[in-house]
Amino acid sequence: MIRILIVDDEPLARDELAELLAPEADLQIIGQAGNAIEAIAAINRLHPDVVFLDIQMPQISGLQLLAMLDPERMPHIVFVTAFDEFAVQAFEEHAFDYLLKPVEPARLAKTLARLRKERAPQQIDAIGGNAPLTQLPCYGHNRVYLLKVDAVEYALSRLSGVYLVDADGNEHFTELTLKTLEDKTPLLRCHRQHLVNPARIAEIRFGDNGAADIHTVGGLTVPVSRRFLRTVKDALGII
Amino acid sequence: MIFDQFNLVLLLLQQMCVYLVIAYLLSKTPLFIPLMQVTIRLPHKLACYLVFSTFCILGTYFGLHIDDSIANTRAIGAVLGGLLGGPSVGLAVGFTGGLHRYSLGGPTATACMISTVTEGLIGGLVHRWLIRRGRVDILFTPWLVGGVALFAEVMQMLIILAVARPFAMAAQLVEHIALPMLVSNTIGSAMFMRILLDRRAMFEKYSTAFSSRALKIAARAEGALRDGFNQENSTKVARIIYEETGVGAVAITDRDKLLAFIGIGDDHHLPGTPITSAYTFEAIARNEVVFADGNAMPYRCSIRPGCPLGSTLVIPLQGEGDRVVGTIKLYEPKRKLFSRLNRTLGEGIAKLLSRQILAGRVDAQQQLLAQSEIKLLHAQVNPHFLFNALNTISAVIRRDPDHARRLIQYLSTFFRKNLKRPSDVVTLADELEHVNAYLQIELARFAGRLDVAIDLPERFLGVQLPAFSLQPIVENAIKHGTSQLLGAGRIRIHAHADGDVLSLVVEDNAGLYHPKPGGDGLGMNLVDRRIKVRDGTRFGVRVECEPDVATRVILQLPLATQPEHTT
Repeated sequence: MIRILIVDDEPLARDELAELLAPEADLQIIGQAGNAIEAIAAINRLHPDVVFLDIQMPQISGLQLLAMLDPERMPHIVFVTAFDEFAVQAFEEHAFDYLLKPVEPARLAKTLARLRKERAPQQIDAIGGNAPLTQLPCYGHNRVYLLKVDAVEYALSRLSGVYLVDADGNEHFTELTLKTLEDKTPLLRCHRQHLVNPARIAEIRFGDNGAADIHTVGGLTVPVSRRFLRTVKDALGII
Repeated sequence: MIFDQFNLVLLLLQQMCVYLVIAYLLSKTPLFIPLMQVTIRLPHKLACYLVFSTFCILGTYFGLHIDDSIANTRAIGAVLGGLLGGPSVGLAVGFTGGLHRYSLGGPTATACMISTVTEGLIGGLVHRWLIRRGRVDILFTPWLVGGVALFAEVMQMLIILAVARPFAMAAQLVEHIALPMLVSNTIGSAMFMRILLDRRAMFEKYSTAFSSRALKIAARAEGALRDGFNQENSTKVARIIYEETGVGAVAITDRDKLLAFIGIGDDHHLPGTPITSAYTFEAIARNEVVFADGNAMPYRCSIRPGCPLGSTLVIPLQGEGDRVVGTIKLYEPKRKLFSRLNRTLGEGIAKLLSRQILAGRVDAQQQLLAQSEIKLLHAQVNPHFLFNALNTISAVIRRDPDHARRLIQYLSTFFRKNLKRPSDVVTLADELEHVNAYLQIELARFAGRLDVAIDLPERFLGVQLPAFSLQPIVENAIKHGTSQLLGAGRIRIHAHADGDVLSLVVEDNAGLYHPKPGGDGLGMNLVDRRIKVRDGTRFGVRVECEPDVATRVILQLPLATQPEHTT
């Protein structure tokens, strides 16, 4: 069974694709997303095998979305676009699977046949998918905004999700995972649930039990666990 | 007796020498150019007749008076006239020279006249015979000319013997003059031809050198300035001219600065530096060639006093409408004279390069034109919109065929309106139909994520405005505005009048407007410019943006009721 997520900002386009996929017995559409934020959340939560991803979407395009996914749990991507000659050219060059809208059933059948046979790892970085993130999408007040990495003091993970904390102590909810942030930004792992921005570290206070606390420029405190103290010290050049 | 004969030969040869000197001097003039080849055309034949008739008469004057007759070199003119000009010219020359001789009188006057005409005719017949056999090359050999002259002189002697009376006098005369005349006319004719040949050789050598150099430069410089009159291309061209002309140095400038300099003095004539030479400024200002030969017109390097360059030729380069776009400068060092050849070549090269610059600019303009046409076409086809619309319709067909049919109607209305020329003038009602067709498709596409409210009073619908003014604004509001929202987008189109100004407002709830430098093809900037051009700077497009809340694009149009002033 191949588990599929459909991502497109146009409801009709999603329905159309879902309808084309419906007769396939070995496919299961596990969800749909109307924008990149929903898509990140759905991918992190549902771990689909294949994502049909529209390129043209509000705020964060399908291509930008790639860089925000956890590289280790990257689903297989099939791009969908109505008209984007540059993207299509890039897909052709790097043998990426893509569909043109309106989707031709014969072409879709070919794509599905390939998906069933094998899903070889895709060269995500060839189309800019592994670019470092300098702006992080945050969600609030029913809109997405982009927070600069430089403005982040630290990031923490709670049961309710991942939050970026700025110098004023404001928490910004993001759909990015700590793992993605660690891989794609300069943020440094200092605790199982915390990343700290090395550029914002003011001092490190060592505790008795081998752990420590980081005090940031903004006057916030971030815990450092025993396990990650070594890596923090190495990264900062402290012996 | 033999001594006398020898003396006469010498005397006549001396006379002939004066005659040949005159021929030599005349050969330097353009008068001789037609004589250097077989003449076919009438003006050339006329020139041939005039020159050789003159020589024919000269031959009589430079003759020696013996008894009552004249030992002369008249035959040279007649024979050569015939040989080079053909029978008609030969006869005419012979006749002219003969009449002249006849007018001088004496016992042999008649005989001399007849013989001169005969000589011309002989030359002419030889000419015709050789031409018919295609042996023009032989015609120009001194040996042949000498031979024909000798034969003609023998004929003359026979004619004198036959015609002049009393016969005893004629026989005595022929005995005296035969040898000197045979010798001097033969040698004289041959040498005259030699002079002609030398002259031709010189002329050809000069023009061959000139043409081969000019052609070589033209071939090497072909297209060099066509892809731009800049430092890099100019340097290539300057090097070619320097190598091919062998002048001391070559410079190319635009109107302000030196683009290239190759040759003597390149240590201080540096490309990229501003023009300093007064001659260059003069050439640019007056659009004329300026030549400072270093003598009559002093030349001194304007950059360094010790510069070895001593003369310069500045030739303007011309672009559109003969406007000066720069100059080419040739230099010679102080120790060397500026050759005429290089002066002429320089001017020719400047013409050649001017053409190239012009052709290059025409190319660039055409390219620009083609690009803007493609841009317009692209905007008219609007592929992004088209494919999205088709995708939407394809999805709608399944659930609501009637709706799909209506959408196809809207799509065709949209494209019909889109194919109008941007220069057309339409009414607001027209433009609104365009906008509505567009919006209906976008509404279906964003199903539920887009909400549109149009509130335009009836009385404004007749207002005239340029085609494509409202539609691109609405398209921008969706493309760069509401479609970037995660939540629902709202577009509001309304209008209000303020005096004679109608304000059409397109408002979205995204507030994402960022002014882009340059603007896009048929976007807001273009709408603004088109309204301003048509209606004046009071009108146009204004943008108000409350970030993340709303963007309002306001089209201000004249609320005039008389639309006659449209173009």
